[in-house]
Amino acid sequence: MVSEKSQFAVETFGLTKIFGDWWGRSRVVAVEDLNLKVNRNEVFGLLGPNGSGKTTVIKMLLGLLHPTKGRALVLGGVSRDPKITAKIGFLPEESYLYPYLNARETLDFYGRLFGLNSKVRASRIDALLDMVGLAGMASRPIGTFSKGMARRIGLAQALINDPELLILDEPTSGLDPIGTKQIKDLIVELAKRGKTVLLCSHLLADAEEVCDRMAIMYGGHIQRLGSVDELLKQTNKRQITTGVLTEDTLQKIRSIVEKHGSEFEVSEPMQRLESYFIEVVRQAHKEKRPTSGAVNRLEATQADATAAVSDVLDRLVSAKVETQKQTEIKKAVETIAIEPDKSVLTKLTQSGDENLTTPVSKIDKPVPDTQKSENIKKNILDELVGRQGLAEDEKNG
Amino acid sequence: MGRIWAVARNTFVSAVRMKTAIVFMAMLLILLPILSLTSTGDGTAIGRVQSFVSYGLGLVSFLLSMLTIVVACYTLSSDVKHKRVYSVVTKPIRRFEFVIGKALGVILLDLLLLAVFSGVIYGLTIQMPRFAKTSDEELVRLKNEFFTARASLKRTIDEQALEKQTDDVYKELVRTGQLDESRSRESVMAELRNAAKYNMYAAGPGGTVLWEFKKVRPFDANESLFIRFKFNAAQTPADKSLYGVWYVGDYRQIQGGPETMKTPIYQIPRKDVVGTMREFEVPADAVAADGYLAVGFYNEPMNGTTVIFPIEDGFEVLYKAGGFGGNFISAVLIMFARLVFLACLGVSLSTWVGFPVAILCSLTIFFTGVINGFVVQSFDYLGQNLTIFYSVTIKPLIWLLPKFDQNYNVNKYLIDARMIRFGFLMLAAGVLLLKSLILLLIGFFIFAKRELAKVVI
Repeated sequence: MVSEKSQFAVETFGLTKIFGDWWGRSRVVAVEDLNLKVNRNEVFGLLGPNGSGKTTVIKMLLGLLHPTKGRALVLGGVSRDPKITAKIGFLPEESYLYPYLNARETLDFYGRLFGLNSKVRASRIDALLDMVGLAGMASRPIGTFSKGMARRIGLAQALINDPELLILDEPTSGLDPIGTKQIKDLIVELAKRGKTVLLCSHLLADAEEVCDRMAIMYGGHIQRLGSVDELLKQTNKRQITTGVLTEDTLQKIRSIVEKHGSEFEVSEPMQRLESYFIEVVRQAHKEKRPTSGAVNRLEATQADATAAVSDVLDRLVSAKVETQKQTEIKKAVETIAIEPDKSVLTKLTQSGDENLTTPVSKIDKPVPDTQKSENIKKNILDELVGRQGLAEDEKNG
Repeated sequence: MGRIWAVARNTFVSAVRMKTAIVFMAMLLILLPILSLTSTGDGTAIGRVQSFVSYGLGLVSFLLSMLTIVVACYTLSSDVKHKRVYSVVTKPIRRFEFVIGKALGVILLDLLLLAVFSGVIYGLTIQMPRFAKTSDEELVRLKNEFFTARASLKRTIDEQALEKQTDDVYKELVRTGQLDESRSRESVMAELRNAAKYNMYAAGPGGTVLWEFKKVRPFDANESLFIRFKFNAAQTPADKSLYGVWYVGDYRQIQGGPETMKTPIYQIPRKDVVGTMREFEVPADAVAADGYLAVGFYNEPMNGTTVIFPIEDGFEVLYKAGGFGGNFISAVLIMFARLVFLACLGVSLSTWVGFPVAILCSLTIFFTGVINGFVVQSFDYLGQNLTIFYSVTIKPLIWLLPKFDQNYNVNKYLIDARMIRFGFLMLAAGVLLLKSLILLLIGFFIFAKRELAKVVI
């Protein structure tokens, strides 16, 4: 349809989806007047609580649902056009696969749909199975796979055509932490190679780590849109990380800070459960404990892991890494590890378990009880609806 | 094409690995050999093979039809229901290619299963005479009346000529004023028509009934023609038998004198019981080089009564026009066309309805096809008063219904060792394939337009 290369990977114009019942009554607005622009070569996160219209947007982009109004361009064309779909990789919200085919046959089937010749198919399938850790299970029927293993095959099929645009709907659902980590590494690596990733998730931590920009949807509208830094930076706080300090030194620092009239809090940074978990599994893998599950490539260090993903991608992806992008994303990944204060967990446990945080002095002014419990309630609610309130929290300070 | 093939292969592999296909196959592989041993028919050798072929092919055809309906309705609708289409239609494949692929996969499965099971039936049928002690006489009968494909010649009445002839007679009657004023033209014409037909099939004492056929092509001039007939007498004689002489050959030669005779004219005097089907054999070289064949029956004056051949089944010439194998293949091809139709039907239905509805519709249509003649007749009768409405709505739909009964019941041909003519094969298979195509086109249209994702909020 549109021949010239559009500057946007995804562009929607007043995209609207209204669901009616069989008679066309009691209409529900799923998505309304959505104008979304995803740049080429960025990782874009579409976030929102359940029922906010994320998946509906994706389905409209892919032509699985027809928009009630407006239109969507994907890679400058309509997604029904085989020329466009040839450049898209799509991972649906669950891996819907053919249970009677085995892993290799499944990937072969999708490879054929892209018209890849048998030689290309064979080599890509080997590389992908290796990457998702299912090389040893290539001839087992998909029907016998656990959800997470099926998810890995789903991811592999999305990558079989070396897509320019990768649309991932809840990519980490059902995956173990290592799989989650690998997907995140993968997304980062793909972005380095000039691919565009449209990520749809309500697992905020995952999105936060990898996305360049994100939109938070609620009620079919985009509530906030911007780069991760723009949205999350707390301009009224500063964090200092040091080695172990004596009580004396701490007192000195406190007095300095209090002199400037600012709040002061000391805590021992916790290791994140994710990195701890990966460490444990890595240890077991090294000792060669048997497993019937997915075998992950577990390299000794994070650098090695990234290198391993990069290796496989070298076999799979035509484009090579664009170096200047690397550092930016790394930064985003690193900062999250030491950002405890606003986390919901901390707030929820503040009144009870004192071991988690170590408030040092009276500065910990207790908020009036009613407000505090209100806060907690709000946070539990946020938690329940998928933490959609996070953005508002940030805004209010 | 590669994409269609990928979908077809996937469908085929999934269907083979589905337990239903295995169950159907196991059932047939056990039942068929048992059937070959237990089929007795009327106790004769020919009765045994006839009942085996009839039940065997009937069973295979029925079970494969059921399997086709189940698989065809399941394959596409389950892909939609279990959302497997999400990751297929978002690949560079057109939706109609996906639908074709699905139908093709089911058709491939049918092709394979039908080839295997018809092969099994064919093998068992050929071997059956050896299972039980069979006399030489029975073997000859088997060869002539079962392991062969006989073409049948019957008089076709030229309705137009008949109409013109009766009309002339009617005008003559009107002109000469011999008609009763109170009678309508229709009733007079009907009576005249019947009388004209009767004259073609009846002969008074010393008279002759003549049948002429063109384009008769015997398989081999050394084979035989089989003349099957049944006659009645206006006044049944005491011993219930009539004398007559049959002349078989090219009677046009008689006018040219004995020296122009190229093919023999056989003269067979016979005495036969009235009201029973009789059959006699004549060498096939009686047929002229241009395929002309005449059969005449001379009513001996000594009978003293008029001989009448029933219009429907009074006279037929059967001759070997092909082999059993060829005929068997034709029958299997018609069965295959039927399965193709059912596959397209199931896939087409499941482009817009779910599995339960699709299978219910398919089964209804299948069983309607089995009694098609009855359905068409009753609708034609009921639709008489609806005229235009009927002919633009219900009639095309009824036309879309498959015909599996009457002439299209292929078992009948094999049991009677009747040749399935190439033209008939093409017509029967062609019509079914045309209907399949129409169904698929409807399916393409719906599948291309519909939203494949469910409404989830």
